Amino acid sequence: MIAQQIINAVSLGGVYALLALGLAIVFSIVGLINFAHGELMTLSGYALLASLVLGFPFPVAVLVAVSCGALAAVAMERIAFRPMRGASVTSLLLTSFAVSSLLKVVFQNGISARPQAVAMPGWMTGAFSFGDFTIGVGPSISIVVSALALIALEVFLRRSVTGTAMRAAAEDFDVVRLMGIPASRIIATAFLLSGLLAGLAAMLWVAQRASVDPLMGFTPVLKAFIAAVVGGLGSLPGAVAGGFLLGIIEVLLQATLPGAIAPYRDAIVLSGVIAVLLVRPQGLIPAVRAQRS
Amino acid sequence: MLSVEALKIRYGEVEAVRRVDLTVDSGEIIALVGANGAGKSSTLGAVAGLVPAASGKVIFDGADITGLAPEAIARKGVALVPEGRRIFASLTVADNLRLGGAVHQPAAEARLREEEMLELFPILRRYHRVKGGNLSGGEQQMLAIARALMGKPRMILLDEPSLGLAPQLIDTVFDLIAELRRKGLTILLVEQNVALALEIADRAVVLANGEVVLAGTAKELASSDLVRQAYLGA
Amino acid sequence: MPSLYRLHRAALCAAVFGIAAISTSSAEEIIIGAATAQTGGLAPYDQPALAGLRMSLDELNAKGGLGGKYTVKLLIKDTRSDTAQTATVAQELIDAGAKIMITPCDADPSISAGQLTQPLGIPTLTLCGSAPVLTGAVGDVMFGTYPADNVQATAVADFAVSEGKKKVFLLTSPDSTYTANLPEYFGKVFEKKGGAIVGRGTFSMGQPDFSAEITNIKGLADKPDLIMTAAYEPDFPAFIQQLRGAGVTIPVYGADAIGTPTIKALGKLVDGVVYTAAGYAEPGSKLEAFNAAFTKYAGHAPESTYEVNGYEIALILDQAVKTAGSDDPKAIRDAIAGLKDFEGITGKITYAGTDRMPLRPVALMRYEGGEGKHVETLIPEAADVPAP
Repeated sequence: MIAQQIINAVSLGGVYALLALGLAIVFSIVGLINFAHGELMTLSGYALLASLVLGFPFPVAVLVAVSCGALAAVAMERIAFRPMRGASVTSLLLTSFAVSSLLKVVFQNGISARPQAVAMPGWMTGAFSFGDFTIGVGPSISIVVSALALIALEVFLRRSVTGTAMRAAAEDFDVVRLMGIPASRIIATAFLLSGLLAGLAAMLWVAQRASVDPLMGFTPVLKAFIAAVVGGLGSLPGAVAGGFLLGIIEVLLQATLPGAIAPYRDAIVLSGVIAVLLVRPQGLIPAVRAQRS
Repeated sequence: MLSVEALKIRYGEVEAVRRVDLTVDSGEIIALVGANGAGKSSTLGAVAGLVPAASGKVIFDGADITGLAPEAIARKGVALVPEGRRIFASLTVADNLRLGGAVHQPAAEARLREEEMLELFPILRRYHRVKGGNLSGGEQQMLAIARALMGKPRMILLDEPSLGLAPQLIDTVFDLIAELRRKGLTILLVEQNVALALEIADRAVVLANGEVVLAGTAKELASSDLVRQAYLGA
Repeated sequence: MPSLYRLHRAALCAAVFGIAAISTSSAEEIIIGAATAQTGGLAPYDQPALAGLRMSLDELNAKGGLGGKYTVKLLIKDTRSDTAQTATVAQELIDAGAKIMITPCDADPSISAGQLTQPLGIPTLTLCGSAPVLTGAVGDVMFGTYPADNVQATAVADFAVSEGKKKVFLLTSPDSTYTANLPEYFGKVFEKKGGAIVGRGTFSMGQPDFSAEITNIKGLADKPDLIMTAAYEPDFPAFIQQLRGAGVTIPVYGADAIGTPTIKALGKLVDGVVYTAAGYAEPGSKLEAFNAAFTKYAGHAPESTYEVNGYEIALILDQAVKTAGSDDPKAIRDAIAGLKDFEGITGKITYAGTDRMPLRPVALMRYEGGEGKHVETLIPEAADVPAP
């Protein structure tokens, strides 16, 4: 039981970590909390559905869906956020809300307000057994994919020039530009990465939910935001830590709270978040920001 | 090589620079001196593209670079070493250097350039894998200059390189600046330490309240009454 | 989806013409206000029901209107699935002269609209809200139209007992009356008839992850042979995907809200899931004829029995206006409340002697191979139905 719940927690935490990272990457570069991040997930979900309906093999459909998320993120930056570059944090936030609402309505009117079933391949509902211990294929995939994505991102940020430039830009964007590195390239890469992460998270999300609907991005982006704040807004390791922490707390509470208190679960989770922030106002792993004179 | 014509800079309602004209010839060191708030750093910022000019022109190598993005100006061969050094604290010395030369040249060339920099600044070789934030002020200044040089600029803008450094370190930095000039680099130097600046510069421009109040050879300025009274404490 | 576009345009037209209609309102016209969700979580339920209602009103208008006398102007406003917004648009519809109010497929927004119509005596009918507490919470103007939750739950429980099920796990969500109460009604009937409740779990609507709850189910010392829930989209697909993904094969039963194309499209995943409907189109039945007519009218087959339920609402109103002999809201209300054994499309509908939640048949359905198969249709014994 306990081992099972740990696996549940890691599996959920991994998805939250991917989502929170997507938010944090963009925030660290442009100071924008992109609430339309959830709609990137929704879009990837619909892209998966469309690819499957068109008869693509499952792996191809997943590839198409994740690419759609990434490209949509870049397009979103081009169309909605680039004209707002240099605007205040609040204006950017409002812009992202506007984009989010707009996309939701587009999904509702252009596709359907009704959730669309996404039939996952049969093997995804299987389970491995070790004695009387079983672990579902779904959670296993979720854990493996999250881990691989986190490692790949870490390698990219450490080894590649663009990745290094992104870490530098999170600290001091102007100086990165003084090195001759174009701002647009950094920002576009940030959105591309966040879109990739949203797409991957969407695949894991949809695999667990078996349906896509126009509003499906709302809950995850909220969770990701909470995770990113707990971890330290703009800090990438913080986002990962926050994601896992949130997943663990949620599963722990769901597993242990007696029925009478269970409805207060979300309130308890958020109280925990506030407690963490009281002790560590900058989050678990604060972001490094240059001291400007 | 560089000429600034009737430059004006505004931050909201405040005029930080009213009118600055100056020219820098190839291979020269020009010192831009003046009190705090005279508009020196703003002028450098405008040349590098970080600060928008309200009016006026910046010409580099005969081309108008006013209003270009900082990255575009950097690619034309102008490097700014900003005030306060602004090295990337969470990145290693190696990564700081790597970014400096990232986009200007092929990887192999960048590695050669890095080797040159490590020769020039042995301290950076010693701390190659150390995070920039863990270096001392003087070491950070070396790193900032080395990082700017990685891109093989033809002109370097130095903003207060002596700020906050111990006296013997200041000497080291200024020796280095002299060395760079010997190697053919054109230098525009902003410095509050006027005596030091005039010692090393060929020509100097004095700013007060956002305007040029005096310009001439370093020697002329060092002996001018205005400069002696206002800046050299004599 | 094209139908949605059409609805939006229709709503717009209705709004525009509605305003025009007030100034030229003749005595032969009656305004019905529909405060219903065209967007948001309730839209998948309200829209099919509304489509059925519109079809029925179109047909009635072609024959002279309600009671053959009162041409209906249907004003539709979007509640965005929001309870507060429902009250706002209901007020707008009242101001526009609505004499009959149609409210969304859920208790909470229906109650918020009902609180406005009750003092004015405007008869108010929920499209497919099925919480039995709904009518009591508002007062004598509020009518349910769909088989009530406790009636549906009794039907499912009767069936489960007849199958020999002994031990049930109840999965509820406190977030809506429907998801909170329906499984508990089931539990009451199930226990009365010899079954046992071996565990309870809760979820939040929109919750992404059911793994902890599923692990709890797996860890129960007393293994259930049935899981009963009123979860619907998108929670139901998530729950059953994760349940089966965790290797749990216990059957899952639900109620009317999972009788939708989305759930059906889950295919093998929902094999064996039992749910309810307001009726089943047996060959030669009135419902089969309705389905054919609706397909012609809307350009697609009905998605569920919400369409026919919406259609029947207009028939009920027609009968009530006939009985009342006027368009006076109070007289219409009284006429609806007195309706007995009214022949609808799905069977006999009775309001007389009830708390304005109708007595009507419940069809039990089961998903098999991606299709909803009819199991049986029954009207539960009134004595078995637990009190709201």
